[in-house]
Amino acid sequence: MRKADVLRFARDAATAYPLRTSLSVLAMAIGVAAVVVLTALGDGARRYVVDQFSALGSNLVIVLPGRSATGGFSPANALTTTPHDLTIDDAFALTRLPLVRRVAPLTVGNSEINANGRLREVVVAGTTSTYTDIRNFKMAAGSFLPEGDWNRGAPVVVIGSKIKEEIFGGNPAVGELVRLGDRRLRVVGVLKSTGQGLGMNTDELVFVPAGVAQSLFNTHTLFRILIEARGRDEIEAVKREVTTALKARHGGEEDVTVITQDAVLATFDKLLRALTAAVAGIAAISLAVAGILVMNVMLVAVTQRTAEIGLLKALGARGATIRDAFMAEAAMLSLVGAFTGYGLGLFGAFVLRQMYPVFPAYPPDWAVIAALLTSLSTGLVFGIMPARRAARLDPVQALMKH
Amino acid sequence: MLFSDSLTLAIRAISSQRLRSFLTLLGIAVGIAAVILLTSIGEGIHRYVLVEFTQFGTNVVGIHPGRTKTGGTVGLPSSARPLTLEDVEAMKRLPNVVAVTPSVFGNAEVNGNGRVRRVSVYGVGTGLLVVFRAKVRSGQFLPEEEAAAARAQVVLGPKLKNELFGAENALGAKVRIGGLQFRVIGVMEAKGQFLGIDLDDTAYVPAARAMELFNREGLNEISISIAEGVPAAGVVANIKDVMKARHGREDVTIISQEEMLATLGGILDVLTMAVGALGGISLLVGGVGIVTIMTIAVTERTNEIGLLVALGARRQTILGIFLGEAVALAAIGGLVGLILGMGLAQLIGFFVPALPVHTPLSFVLLAEALASVIGLAAGVLPARRAARLDPVEALRTE
Amino acid sequence: MAVIELAGIARVFHLGDSVVHALDRLDVSIEPGEYVAIMGPSGSGKSTLLNLLGLLDRPDAGSYRLEGRDVTTLSPDEQAAVRSRRIGFVFQSFHLVPRLTAAENIALPMMLAGIPAAERAQRVTQALKDFGLDQRAGHRPDQLSGGQRQRVAIARATIMQPAVLLADEPTGNLDRATGDDVINLLEALNQRGMTLIVVTHDAKIGARAKRQLMMEDGLLKSDSGRG
Repeated sequence: MRKADVLRFARDAATAYPLRTSLSVLAMAIGVAAVVVLTALGDGARRYVVDQFSALGSNLVIVLPGRSATGGFSPANALTTTPHDLTIDDAFALTRLPLVRRVAPLTVGNSEINANGRLREVVVAGTTSTYTDIRNFKMAAGSFLPEGDWNRGAPVVVIGSKIKEEIFGGNPAVGELVRLGDRRLRVVGVLKSTGQGLGMNTDELVFVPAGVAQSLFNTHTLFRILIEARGRDEIEAVKREVTTALKARHGGEEDVTVITQDAVLATFDKLLRALTAAVAGIAAISLAVAGILVMNVMLVAVTQRTAEIGLLKALGARGATIRDAFMAEAAMLSLVGAFTGYGLGLFGAFVLRQMYPVFPAYPPDWAVIAALLTSLSTGLVFGIMPARRAARLDPVQALMKH
Repeated sequence: MLFSDSLTLAIRAISSQRLRSFLTLLGIAVGIAAVILLTSIGEGIHRYVLVEFTQFGTNVVGIHPGRTKTGGTVGLPSSARPLTLEDVEAMKRLPNVVAVTPSVFGNAEVNGNGRVRRVSVYGVGTGLLVVFRAKVRSGQFLPEEEAAAARAQVVLGPKLKNELFGAENALGAKVRIGGLQFRVIGVMEAKGQFLGIDLDDTAYVPAARAMELFNREGLNEISISIAEGVPAAGVVANIKDVMKARHGREDVTIISQEEMLATLGGILDVLTMAVGALGGISLLVGGVGIVTIMTIAVTERTNEIGLLVALGARRQTILGIFLGEAVALAAIGGLVGLILGMGLAQLIGFFVPALPVHTPLSFVLLAEALASVIGLAAGVLPARRAARLDPVEALRTE
Repeated sequence: MAVIELAGIARVFHLGDSVVHALDRLDVSIEPGEYVAIMGPSGSGKSTLLNLLGLLDRPDAGSYRLEGRDVTTLSPDEQAAVRSRRIGFVFQSFHLVPRLTAAENIALPMMLAGIPAAERAQRVTQALKDFGLDQRAGHRPDQLSGGQRQRVAIARATIMQPAVLLADEPTGNLDRATGDDVINLLEALNQRGMTLIVVTHDAKIGARAKRQLMMEDGLLKSDSGRG
């Protein structure tokens, strides 16, 4: 039988029983759609995180106080102090390193902002004017922290867009006086809204000069030091320079952990990729179940079309031809199911993007290809047994049954 | 029709088509197995985390400086008044308080026996042993003495002791921590790891000395152990009042371990259900399988349906027969899936001891109920079709 | 009192644009214990009449009284109850459930009526004996000969001791000898008092009945029982 005829045979067989064909297609489609939507979700989350990190600035090297015995990052050191304080002077000293383009010290703490009759808990970041260059902040009004002696801090504050709205509403905030903890500060700038509702951004932060923060929190040690290297190729070298410099300043003790943003990003990237793959894998189990249904339906088909098969054989069809015809039917069911599922999945991802515009929820290519291939091969694998059964039918027995 | 007869008919119908029924229930079985396996892992992790947290003693309340919004980061410095050692003394005097310990925390080098090691150093008080259920392996812990004048003594964690002193006796030895000299008076019992932090690679000094060491004005935290059987809420209210009086305003965050575990437990439960829902996708496809096969069955047994009507079967009865088959298929599939899923869970628990698994009875019952409900839902459409057939036409069908 | 009384029965089918009068102005009365043959060419309406008598179909006009009770206006569930207890069917193609044994097939009407297993077993055992099927109790239909299958069907049709036995071409799928045995069986039941109505196109079989109703184009052409 010619290839085209085999396909036509398969197609006619499938369309003869529209309900069971569409149910088999549905089963396969659910599986593929699930994989597509879930990987879109996972990859969207991953890309969101990567984007967030990129927004933090490029070519970044980060210094944390404290070091674990084994080197590298330890959760115990996420928030710690050391006998030798990591000081603002340390940060300033790093600006003199040849391969360093910019440095910004960072102190973070909890406080309350009191202004305009309103009181609100707020996270405060103490830093210097260089911070905005590293992070590419856009101002909605006024300007960022002024340049000046890093140790002394002018009594000024820059507030995030959400804080501005909650405290000042629609009125201008620049020039107003606010109370932060027990300090009186003047607002010199308002940050532009980042437009995301997810809270991991500057909308709810306030920025003060590092010196002001340190006296506010009564601490002499920094939370982090952010360093921008001159170029991507200089990152590792900067890492080494910074470690050496700080060790010298701390009495020969290496009491800081220096990491590159790239390394942190790479860890998150790997983690989220693995998670996405795991989730997709679990969803893909449904493809196996769909395959079982295809096998079941094909077996029923063989039983119901026994007379037809007997007739074909009596008319001279070879076993291989019968087998190919049934395999073609199984393959067709799977393919139609897979593409339907792909379409459904794309629609699902589209809906996700409308609901959460922040997440770039697109199914990654590897997932789509994997899903389509898996469903096709599942259909073929589960179609083999019924096809061989059909091929082996004895024509006399088959015709006699009816 | 009697229920036992319905059951017999359903089983007879299912077993008359062995392969077909097997494949159909296999779809449900795979779905249930996936759901049970995944939720067992989730539940296992839940229990593991709870155990990890409660190893430190239950009924613990923590006070942190500064008021943070619920969900805000605790542990960051605050512009509020610092927590002091006097605050600790005030806490000790509260009713239903069994023990109190201050906590000052940092990272420093410990020099001893000619070796150096960087570890986490904790400034604490005698109460630590009770509050965090810790024990001393040799020597003694930090003694009860006036906090501000506490002597420069240190208790080493077992790993730190090993790294510095090896098998030698460390008691009485002098070590230097961050430039200050301390005398070793004890070594702790091993506690193991907690969420990736090695609890044995530590050193414990009096809180006042730690504040000197790390140049701090206040404590990181005050931890309080409440009497057994007393609900935390009352004591928390007391603490709130006393701290408010001492500081002039409400400027501390009080977290009871109960609350924290409840919140954590809630999050883990949501995660477990989400993961279970993932497995449920397979179950959904299994349900589609039942719909398909039952539809085929109704078509194949059309004249049988006509016969049953002729024999006096009511519409309800026809409906019940086919629904019964669908539910029976799903229920049997559910049982198979349960065995499969629980078996796999045990296997994983055996080969990967790091991954905790636990299958509570409630999950088993829920899973079987879920399978049955899916069977019911899947059978509705085909069963209704069957019940609506015109008997004359049906009898005429081949 | 007549066991069956049809008055002014009409049944109309709409096939596309045309209207087919399958049954037209039918008046028939049948006494208990009668042996009636309904005959006629294909398309005469005899099958439709049988379906109607068996409450498998409703007339579009007229009334049907079974044992004095108007069954045309009964609800579907009530009609089902009547079919269960008062009417027995025997079909040309037997219509045995292939996955049930002979005994189980015979018990089927009792199962549907909710009769408990112990009582069923007793009555089935008796029926198997009466119809010479004891050796075949545990066999499935595909393990029985045509004659045995029809005997199982008859046993099933009579197990609830109905008032009327309706047989639609009962010998159609059997060879002559076996067919004769089956007709003898049905006649023996009739002799014991069961009203027997046989639909057939076979003149010889029809002739054995005590009364012949000849159908043509939905009308009752002749009724040998009423001149």
